[in-house]
Amino acid sequence: MEQQIKKRKTTLWSLLWNSKLGSLGAIIVLFVVLVAIFAPWIAPYDPAALDPIKRLKPPFWMEGSLPEHLLGTDNLGRDILSRLIYGSRVSLIVGVGAVLVSGLVGTLLGLLAGYYGKWSNILIMRTADAFHAIPSLLLMLVMLAVVGPGLTTLIFVIGLTNWVSYARVVRGEVLSIKERDFVRAARAAGASNARMLFKHILPNIMSTFIVLSGMNVATTILMESSLSFLGLGIKPPDVSWGTMLSDGKQYIATSWWVSTFPGLAITITVLGVIFLGDWLRDVLDPRMKAND
Amino acid sequence: MKNSRLITVLLLVVLVLSACSGNNGNSSANNGGNSSTNSEAGNGGSDSGRTGDQAKLVIANSADIESFDPHNNNNTYSESVIINVFEYLVKNGENQEKVPGLATEWEMVDDTTWRFKLREGVTFHNGDPFTAADVKFSFERVAKDSSLKQNSYFKHITEVKIVNDYEVEFITEYPDPILLNRLSKMGAGILPAKYIEENGIESFLKNPIGTGPYKFSSWTKDDRVVLVKNESYYGDAPQWEEVTFRMIPEAATRVSELLTGGVDIITGVPVTDIERINGGEATKIEAATIQRVLHLLMRMTEGTVTADPLVREAIELAIDKQAIIDSIAGGMGTVTRTSVTPGNFGADPGLYETSLFDADKAKQLLQDAGYTNGGPEVTLSASTVYKEIAEVVAAMLTGVGFQVNLDILEPSKFTETYNSKGFKELFILGVGNSLFDASNNYNRFLLENAAGETDYNNPEVEELLQAALSNMNPEERAKQYQQVQQHIANDRPTIYLYQMQGVYGVNKRINFAPRLDEMFILDDIKLAN
Amino acid sequence: MGQYLVRMLLQVVPVMFLISIIVFVLVHVTGDPVNLMLPETATEEDREILRAALGLDQPLYQQYFVYIKNVLQGDFGNSFHYGEPALPLVLERLPATFELAAVAMLIGIVIAVPCGMISAVKRNTVLDVIISFLSVIGKAMPNFWMGIMLILLFSVSLGLFPVSGRGGVEHIVLPAFTIGIGLAAQMTRLIRSNMLEILSQDYIRTARSKGLREVLVVGRHAFRNGLIPVVTIMSLQFTSLIGGTLVTETVFAWPGLGQLLVTSVNMRDMAVVQAAVFIIALVVIVCNMLTDVVYRYLDPRIKYN
Repeated sequence: MEQQIKKRKTTLWSLLWNSKLGSLGAIIVLFVVLVAIFAPWIAPYDPAALDPIKRLKPPFWMEGSLPEHLLGTDNLGRDILSRLIYGSRVSLIVGVGAVLVSGLVGTLLGLLAGYYGKWSNILIMRTADAFHAIPSLLLMLVMLAVVGPGLTTLIFVIGLTNWVSYARVVRGEVLSIKERDFVRAARAAGASNARMLFKHILPNIMSTFIVLSGMNVATTILMESSLSFLGLGIKPPDVSWGTMLSDGKQYIATSWWVSTFPGLAITITVLGVIFLGDWLRDVLDPRMKAND
Repeated sequence: MKNSRLITVLLLVVLVLSACSGNNGNSSANNGGNSSTNSEAGNGGSDSGRTGDQAKLVIANSADIESFDPHNNNNTYSESVIINVFEYLVKNGENQEKVPGLATEWEMVDDTTWRFKLREGVTFHNGDPFTAADVKFSFERVAKDSSLKQNSYFKHITEVKIVNDYEVEFITEYPDPILLNRLSKMGAGILPAKYIEENGIESFLKNPIGTGPYKFSSWTKDDRVVLVKNESYYGDAPQWEEVTFRMIPEAATRVSELLTGGVDIITGVPVTDIERINGGEATKIEAATIQRVLHLLMRMTEGTVTADPLVREAIELAIDKQAIIDSIAGGMGTVTRTSVTPGNFGADPGLYETSLFDADKAKQLLQDAGYTNGGPEVTLSASTVYKEIAEVVAAMLTGVGFQVNLDILEPSKFTETYNSKGFKELFILGVGNSLFDASNNYNRFLLENAAGETDYNNPEVEELLQAALSNMNPEERAKQYQQVQQHIANDRPTIYLYQMQGVYGVNKRINFAPRLDEMFILDDIKLAN
Repeated sequence: MGQYLVRMLLQVVPVMFLISIIVFVLVHVTGDPVNLMLPETATEEDREILRAALGLDQPLYQQYFVYIKNVLQGDFGNSFHYGEPALPLVLERLPATFELAAVAMLIGIVIAVPCGMISAVKRNTVLDVIISFLSVIGKAMPNFWMGIMLILLFSVSLGLFPVSGRGGVEHIVLPAFTIGIGLAAQMTRLIRSNMLEILSQDYIRTARSKGLREVLVVGRHAFRNGLIPVVTIMSLQFTSLIGGTLVTETVFAWPGLGQLLVTSVNMRDMAVVQAAVFIIALVVIVCNMLTDVVYRYLDPRIKYN
């Protein structure tokens, strides 16, 4: 038994090793996660420490740069590198947090709809249709205007908007698993509903869950930046890549580094997450290839 | 076979979609086709989208107007547009002195009665003559309908009496020393009585007419307002054939439009783009002081840390206002210790162009106030519009020992909290003054208005303010307001960060001098050379 | 067919009903709109009067019935900003947004179909990797950033297109590309995986084993069948397409629904927001139904059951 697990692990690792893009993705994601965790030790400055006199200084290789600010300073003279490092925390927290919320809500509703069927199925799936018909960015915009922006609200708003895909996929999975032999056997043996759900069905939808989540983390990070652009993102003193990018947008033509570095950070991280996600999908659930 | 079927369907979908959307009648005629005769087209070397025609002007604002109802608008950029369509009885001259508009002469009959002689031979854009009936209709509408946004400025006008076709009398509930100021601002626009009575206000708003030098042509919401020359204007012939006010929310987009020659004038230039615009071959920057002064209001409610005068003084001393101007405002601003700046009635020049800043003394004051370990905790609220300034102020306060919670709200949430007087210790507010009178600045410190907001309570100030409200002796009244200013500067229910400037980007083919009141008086904007 | 349409309609009604509840709940937890609608000088009495006039003093369920009754008559209330009925305000913006969305979709298809096909056929070659990489980058770049970059490059530096606004054909190019590129990135990935599945199917293998030339195999068999799912893929993108206009219209000062929504949300002009969400949802649902119909028309194997 133990050996079997070990073997599976090695194959996973070797599979990752064999996929160039997959390992690139894994490296990027790992890097960002480490940066986020160790931010206070890596960042040269307090991300909120400002000095208006040193505002908009370019990165080190350009004329007029300050050696102590490697990637230059922003419109208030804050160190861009330090802000990038700290910003990774918010981007990841929002990305992962929102996905957990939508995953939890969606999975729960999907399980309910798939397992119990009948009216709960109808109600939940029609609600999912309704949510699906409203563009998620719009829904978030309205919800944020209602509750007011902030880190926690952002996580819940994005999370509560994106549950639909989980509910649909999980329900589909449950429906197909329900018909499989081992589940039928367990049911015939008189297993309780809760036991059925947690012992037999949940473990089986785990892979689907992971694959979906990978993709959702990427979209969530992008959503956060769009919401910042529309004026409903993270508020200072918190800093996120999205707010850095949208604060810097008016300096694109004059001080490109203010928005370009966070823009790159977002693009590269999302790239990493997508690569890793694609690879996970190929490995865990080849059937999902067709419906991205 | 199947392929062609599919392609047909795809094409059909696209065709149907674009057909649905094909009916945008007022495609921007001023852009596109007509190539420029102008040698100084944008620095990109191309003239696509250039405002070719010499007699056409394009101005880009950051927001759309609210409506074409001069009585139901409440922001400066709306007024800056429709002031060219609807005229006032009295106009502001160069130094805010009152000059004839639709009224040629006026006199005060007694404290509550004013008589105006109206200009003869003026017609509305539909040809109807302008008479006393229009004045009566307009002012009684704005004074009596409390749902109109300008109502509060006019509700004490009890009656407008028609003496004859070209003479009216205004009767006010109490003596109003600033009636003329009210008649020369937004809300005092003259509407066509007969036209509205016949067609209803809704149809009027779709096709508004006034007496001004420019006529309404079209309004595509969130896109553009187009005005055209009023050929039968009674004054000097208007010089622009067509003027377009475009609405471009993104500052970066506005700047790009200016640089490529797509528009002639843009508002709200980010300070970082000033150099770029000044360096452009065909563009320049014009800046002027405006009426807006940034306030930092403080709650004096018993029990709050800012109730302590030492703490409030420490706050004023902790903030280096000139540094804020030099950095965030790119040097475009003036420090002040009063909000009644030059050009306004009741100004005290002694408090202008001066500020207090002494970080060490601020620290000492906090010590004196009993904060020996750890300074007082304050919440500083601001709208996202002033986010940068709030961040810098917070840093400066933190620098002398305050513990600052920064509370940045998006504009509507800010307004909501403001209107319900829900802010904690400190909040930043930009305050304009369309009346050019000190009363507009200080009425917020009347007991009744301050209750719940700053909770400022100084009986002397209350007495002075109440007296000044209806004091018909200008000299005495000015003194009263100057005394109030001294009190406010000492008591500090608010301190002033700075007086702002309007920064405009202008195409060099145009001569444009920005105004203190931020209006676009189209006929003061001229072609260069 | 007729029966099928009736059944579809029967599905739409409950969904729209649920949307009405979602919208209602959203708007009615906004708090008190009265503070925003009245000037700061308003007294508590003024507020009470306005609350009563707006029916805000009624119990929530009663407010909902009034609301749904009005909505059924096409009355979403008045925009407090414009002082006009909300529905016409929304409807007059639809053409501009449709125009932008249609062109963006067209650009998306024109880029994505060949790229996705090539990528699948030339699987694991350099070309495939490049296309995949570009499509991921296209997907990973925030919309507004791309929009501003396009303006700087194509308008300010090269002077090829006007910067902003709605007008002639040249005005639509940049905003449509801003949305279209993101769309193309998404669709390329979908088309590629679709094609891969088809290429691995039996009839293609049979065709190959019969010794048909690769070009013919791909051209005649795979291409045709690979195109059909494009229709479904299109329908999957409708919602994100409309979502994309929110940001892009603001960057390019495009006077469409997206911009109306952004300004209305910022001003809490909830009557307009409600009407707009409703109309957008309706449009999305109708578009999805239409693609479903088209799909069935293209692929007669699917029965109406």
